[in-house]
Order: sequence, then structure tokens, then C-alpha cells
Amino acid sequence: MALSTIPTRALSEQGINFRNLIINGDMSIAQRGTSVTGLANSPAFIIDRFSYRRNGTWTTVQYTMSQETDAPTGQGFVKSLKITPTTAEASVPNGAFSAANYAIEGQDLQLLKYGTSNAESLTLSFWVKSNKTGTYVCAFLNVSSNKLISKAYTIDSSNTWEKKSITIPGDTVSSYSNDNTVGLNIYWGLAAGTDWTSGSLSDTWQTSSNANYFPSQVNLADSTSNYINFTGVQLEVGTSASDFEFLPYDVNLQRCQRYFEMLVGTNGGVIGYGYGSGSDTARTMWQFKVQKRAVPSMSDSYSTSRQYRINFTSPDGTAVNQNSSNTPGFGDISVNNSGYMNLSGFSSIGGGQNGFMIYNNTTTAMGADAEL
Amino acid sequence: MISTVEKYYIDVNGTLEWQNTYIVTYVDGFVNYVPHSEDNRHYQEILEWVAEGNTITDNGGGE
Repeated sequence: MALSTIPTRALSEQGINFRNLIINGDMSIAQRGTSVTGLANSPAFIIDRFSYRRNGTWTTVQYTMSQETDAPTGQGFVKSLKITPTTAEASVPNGAFSAANYAIEGQDLQLLKYGTSNAESLTLSFWVKSNKTGTYVCAFLNVSSNKLISKAYTIDSSNTWEKKSITIPGDTVSSYSNDNTVGLNIYWGLAAGTDWTSGSLSDTWQTSSNANYFPSQVNLADSTSNYINFTGVQLEVGTSASDFEFLPYDVNLQRCQRYFEMLVGTNGGVIGYGYGSGSDTARTMWQFKVQKRAVPSMSDSYSTSRQYRINFTSPDGTAVNQNSSNTPGFGDISVNNSGYMNLSGFSSIGGGQNGFMIYNNTTTAMGADAEL
Repeated sequence: MISTVEKYYIDVNGTLEWQNTYIVTYVDGFVNYVPHSEDNRHYQEILEWVAEGNTITDNGGGE
């Protein structure tokens, strides 16, 4: 019998209704790999959508960021993001901070009705675990209006998963830009110098000031034994945290691919159909699975050892199979595809030769990066 | 941290044409092909790098 009404369950806040404004909050998608070390630069990504950010001049500190199987028991989570210093810095320089970050497009925040009297409150919930107890700070920056709220949370027990919840009010004055640029930046403080801690926390949206970002933040960078893990990150409308909204893996992956997509080499994996565009150069195109947020940057520096192959049939019917370990170039890139992918290192392939360009090993990889 | 930025040209029907793309090489050796696009974060990095006094290489597609 056909349903005449939608079951209440399907509309309840505990069902899947995309109420979580965070993509990949369960840390399940990590297209770039499972670990990156020596994070001296910013931003850096390993788990999709979550980045490591630093500001100011640090003397020594570097971090490792990884996807781990450590997760709170009995909650449905199987992965977490771990950040740990690989070189420590006992005293944070005054002008420096380091943080985990998540950025949301302004057009995905219009439902909050900011800038009107109906502006909605938001609740951020997440699971966290660290050896280092004490006060940590989450900073929320409305990039569109340069307004800030910073709120503290406490890690009470070392080496124990704890669920935290932070509620912030709506802003009835300032809105988010309705476009594909950053609307809201969320920072989970790891360590901060006095330029970023000497102000005060706030329960209301205020014009951003560096001093108000991370007051009372502990220094996670002071020992290589320190670590912090996050998972189950959810940001939703309202003043209380609901259960985490789990999405199917394929849905989660496709949502991540709006911002980053990796094509990993599998032996014989086809990249695209193309042609000889010069005596030593072949040209093809990688069609993305998901349209990107913006025109992406293209790179095959994700390869550990690259090798490409072309399978052509000459006009006289002769099969042509050649390999190249050169680095491809990408021109006229778009939100839908890699544009021209140009690869040299072949011989005598110009003049009416058409065929496939493929990966010739499993360690070649290309990425399209449209992250915020 | 950016090391060098160079305009990327390719041969289109016998003519070298700029592809609205920059080859960005970072100090750690990572190479990015970055579109001339305001919404791209790496393009914003290029603008900051230029504002610091650095120069984009434009050799017209030559070596």
C-alpha cells in the first residue's frame, strides 16, 4: 500500500535530514592517505574537510596529523582525527597559534537567518580525547562579517573519550555571504601565544580581535608525548546536541569530493581518451565525479612513484604502447574536469594517433583541490 | 611555502597559449597547477606571494 503520509520517524531530528552542517564529521573519509608529518605549513589536510592551521612564527613545533581507528566505544564511530606534536615547543611564541579547522561555505549557512531577528542558535558537539587535561577553546569566526565567538571546553580525564557540546547564539546583525567562499571558520585551539590569549571569551558575536581567539588555551605543543583525537563532529541548528547523523559512505565521499577528489592509480586504470599533441606529448582529460566548489588546483605530487602509459593505434593499425614517468601539466582547468592534461616523455606519437592514457602502476595519483 | 610561480603555456594548434594556469612549486617540492581564479585558495596564496615582492615567471612558453 502506498504511503499517504511520510512516517514521523523520517522527519524526526534523529533521522537523516542533513542537519549536520559538518561534512565527514565521523572522520571516515581520508582520500589523501592516513598520515602526514612535519606540518610546518598551513593549511594541511589528511582527513577530508578538516585541516591543520597555524599562524605566526613558530620556532620548532611541527605536528603529525593522522586518521586513527581509535574511537569512542559503542557510539558507532570507527575512525578519528589525531594530531600530535612531532617536535615540541615548550613556550608558544607571542604571535603564534595552531589549531584544527573546519570551514563552511556561506551559501550553506543561509538557513541560519543571520542578520535577521530570527537568527538561529547553533550547537557544536564532538568527541575528544587527549592525554592533556585542562581548558581548550573553540573559536567561531564569521568570515563574511569578521565577527568572532570563542568558547571554552574542558578535557576532564586524560586518555578518555569525552563528548563535548558548545552552543552559540545567532547573530541578528551580521549575515553570511551567500556564495561559495568561506562563511564560517571553526577553530579547535591546540596552542596559542599571548597575542591570541590575552583577551576574553565571549557569549555574543563581537568584532574579531586576535586577543579573543584562544583565552586560557592549554599548550598541547609542549611535549611530543601530547596528542588530541576528535571524532563525531556535528554542528546543528538549536540549543542542544542530537545524536550524530551518520551518512552512508558513498554519500559522505561525494560530499567531500566537492572540495577534493583523488584519482588513484590502479594498474591499467583509465584516466581518459586522448591524442598525440606533439611528437613526444599526449593530451587527455580527467572528468571529475563531482563538480567542484571552485576551479581546483591540479597536481600529481600525491604520487609516490609515477608512471603513465598510452595505448594508441596508429593510422596504419600498428599498436603503440609507451610509458612515461614525467610530470603532467594541466591547463584550462574547470569545475568539471582537469582541462588539458599534457604529458611528455613519449616518442613519435603526433599526427592522428588517438587512444587511452592510463595509470601504469598503483602509486600514481592525481588530486583536484577546491578546498576552502 | 611557495618557491616559484610560472605561467603555464601549451601548444594549441601550433600556437603557444597561456592556459589561465600557474605552475606553483613549493619548497617541499610539491607542484600545483593553479587556475587564475579568485575562489581558489592557492591563487590567493600567489597573490599574497606577489604582494610580498616576488615575481611570476613568464617566459612565453619557452624554456
